[in-house]
Amino acid sequence: MIRFVSIRLLRALVTILAVVTFAFVVLRISGDPAQVMLGPDVPQDAVDAFREAWGLDQPLWIQYLAYIHSIFTGDLGISMRDKESALQLVLERIPATLQLTIPALLLKLIIGIPAGVYAALHRQSGIDRGVIMLSILGFTIPSFVMGLLLVLIFSVTLGLLPSGGQGTWMHSLLPTITMSIGGIGLLARFSRSAMIEVMGQPYIRTASAKGLRWSDVVWQHALPNAAVPIVTIVGFMVGALLAGAVVVESIFSWPGIGRLLVVSVANRDLAVVQCILLLIAATMVVSNLIVDLLYGWLDPRLRGQAAH
Amino acid sequence: MLSINRRGALGLIGAATSTIVLPRMSFAQDKRPSVKIAVQKITNNNTLCVWNEQSNAGERVFFPNLWEGLILRDWMGNQGPVAGLATEWRRIDDKTLELKLRKGVKFHNGDELTAEDVAFSFSKERLFGETEPKGGKTIFADEHKPATAKELPASVPGIGRRVWPALAGVEVIDKHTVRFHNATPDVTLEGRLYAFGSQITNRRAWDEAASFTEWARKPITTGPYMVEDFKPDVSLTLAAFDEYWGGRPPLERIQFVEVPEVASRVNGLLSGEYDFACDLPPDQIATVQSASGFEIQGSTILNHRISVFNTQNPVLADPRVRRAMTHAIDRKAIVEALWGGQTVIPAGLQFEIFKTTDMFIDGWQVPEYNPGLAQDLLKQTNYKGDAIPYRLLNNYYTNQTANAQIMVEMWKQVGLNVEIQMKENWAQIHDPEGIKGVRDWSASANINDPVTPMVTQFGPNGEMQQKKDWTNAEMNELSVVLETSTDRALRKKAYARMLEICEREDPAYQVLHQNAVFTGMKSSLKWKAAPAFAMDFRSNNWAM
Repeated sequence: MIRFVSIRLLRALVTILAVVTFAFVVLRISGDPAQVMLGPDVPQDAVDAFREAWGLDQPLWIQYLAYIHSIFTGDLGISMRDKESALQLVLERIPATLQLTIPALLLKLIIGIPAGVYAALHRQSGIDRGVIMLSILGFTIPSFVMGLLLVLIFSVTLGLLPSGGQGTWMHSLLPTITMSIGGIGLLARFSRSAMIEVMGQPYIRTASAKGLRWSDVVWQHALPNAAVPIVTIVGFMVGALLAGAVVVESIFSWPGIGRLLVVSVANRDLAVVQCILLLIAATMVVSNLIVDLLYGWLDPRLRGQAAH
Repeated sequence: MLSINRRGALGLIGAATSTIVLPRMSFAQDKRPSVKIAVQKITNNNTLCVWNEQSNAGERVFFPNLWEGLILRDWMGNQGPVAGLATEWRRIDDKTLELKLRKGVKFHNGDELTAEDVAFSFSKERLFGETEPKGGKTIFADEHKPATAKELPASVPGIGRRVWPALAGVEVIDKHTVRFHNATPDVTLEGRLYAFGSQITNRRAWDEAASFTEWARKPITTGPYMVEDFKPDVSLTLAAFDEYWGGRPPLERIQFVEVPEVASRVNGLLSGEYDFACDLPPDQIATVQSASGFEIQGSTILNHRISVFNTQNPVLADPRVRRAMTHAIDRKAIVEALWGGQTVIPAGLQFEIFKTTDMFIDGWQVPEYNPGLAQDLLKQTNYKGDAIPYRLLNNYYTNQTANAQIMVEMWKQVGLNVEIQMKENWAQIHDPEGIKGVRDWSASANINDPVTPMVTQFGPNGEMQQKKDWTNAEMNELSVVLETSTDRALRKKAYARMLEICEREDPAYQVLHQNAVFTGMKSSLKWKAAPAFAMDFRSNNWAM
């Protein structure tokens, strides 16, 4: 088990390093932060002074080594726009994002999985078809369309909810619903197909033939076996808790990580973008690590594979 | 023994009633409305420093509500100069301007405005850093140093020197008199004093701030509204400053909220969330106007959309090809198609504001739309249909992409092969690698003299020449005349010649149309939009 965890931790570190390196190179070769940040009309003297002040006049490999060194010393850099610690800026925005993504994740789990399981257990029924239709609709409508549609209905037409911004709990309703709809659809479809596959397995027939109650068959035999693919999807959703609100935050003017990322990329605020990507990568990697461990817990056969 | 007669009883009842009613009436009179304004961007650099935030977004949140200069811009009028923190000014000589400060002006921290604050606002510590004035040396440097050093953003001195290239120093004559000393003769000193950036800040507030950022997030100024709360990228709240020298501001608060998506700004306006929605593209005008209780206010601003040429490109090195390009564009069709006729085609790189200094060249026009002439010009060249790159940003300017696509088709009609290359940012537009051709830009008049933008953008130190896009020896000689001559007739003649060079003989750019800005608002609000990004919420532009 220790070897299993160690290997995955090592892989996680390599993944994070790859993400950081990729982000570093792409950000620097796709635009000079001085020109981007200062705009088109600024004199060349000002651009040169900016480059010098932020070390952008140094060769790329020197900048890279300095950056990696600073990461290992716990320094994630200073924002070129705000002249403040990039980490501090990012940490300040995390609660706002989690205020949307955690309730959205809960909605996905609470509605998506039961809907999919129910549809699988009532296959070919009207409810099953309804669930399939709604789930396809849910995850095929882009969030920016869904968000604007909800605003048109609930804010502009009915005047029931705020159209954007962060204030009362009511401000978070529309963005949370917008974020959850696609995930609900996705989870419902995955849960349905996983359950249908499991329900066709011989051990389900055996359990039924033994005279077990239908609910016991479902809860004790079908659901645990169907959980592996569902956990995989949920793992991705958990990993996207920080990164998954970029579009929705822009539509609803929500001051979270997503908007900070968009603004920082647009301005080539290197330290902030790299800090956000580092955190997102770390979240995704940790989430995947937990999912890997959960596999072993859910399916004892996988523990043996992990040991080898 | 107390005796109360009928009259006394009525008096007592009246007095008792008034103790209940009058405070409420007084409260009702005192109660001022607040407004919420949805903008695409509050500031680009997350500060409220006039030198660090030289942008259209900055103009909107700064003027005239927060920052004020010695001379103000007449935002609701002809955009010319009017008395501000200085009540009068006179020329001592061609290089020196003396100004009398308005007495009794208070900063938001309660300090009285003095000549020291003015001198500090134009000091090395606040603005110029280690730069020296063109044609001279800094004077009066040591007298106005703040108590604590602040590290200026690296770009500020360069930007400061663009507006004040030869300012040697500000001399304090007495508490309410200052003299601006220029190293070179300059007839535009008064104009520079009301340019974006030349506003006055409180020296004590600078001293007390721990860092530049701390100061720049809540600058202490003299405007009718003061910074109450600033959350970068989220919101900016300005609160009424009741000791304002121009009288009590009509609004309790002005809150700017950042709503990056156009559709969200429009929806927020229509749902009643916002009182104003700014930065609306022309295609949203009908949506807002068709909704009951809402209207659009729009106007042209002191900014022209232009496209500029790179003469390093072997095809564009021939001025006849560039001339052909300028004659191939039907500007009127563009204005009608993309702007619904809501903006105008200006008289070349000129602004109406130049009339206030008699520097407007009457009769000058943009190149006529004449495809036949364009084709004839091309025939005279060796142009064989080589592709001319057109580096393009995705709607940095309103309608930019659609405008580019239309122009490419118009060029194609006369035989020009212009290829759009989409770019993500300005750095990619200016990337020296690869062949450049044509690109988009805009030109602003910061003061009422053609030195901006003609010299600042196209002169020897302008971006066009610094980036080696274009150069012209005669243009550079004339730039010196426009910048330093005090002979007004000679300056006007020089400017006319510059227009001929840059727009006809050796085109550096072509003017497409004047830019315009559109604001959606509740019709119930008695407010008028200025012909600028600035939003005037002073008492003369707000009726209850």
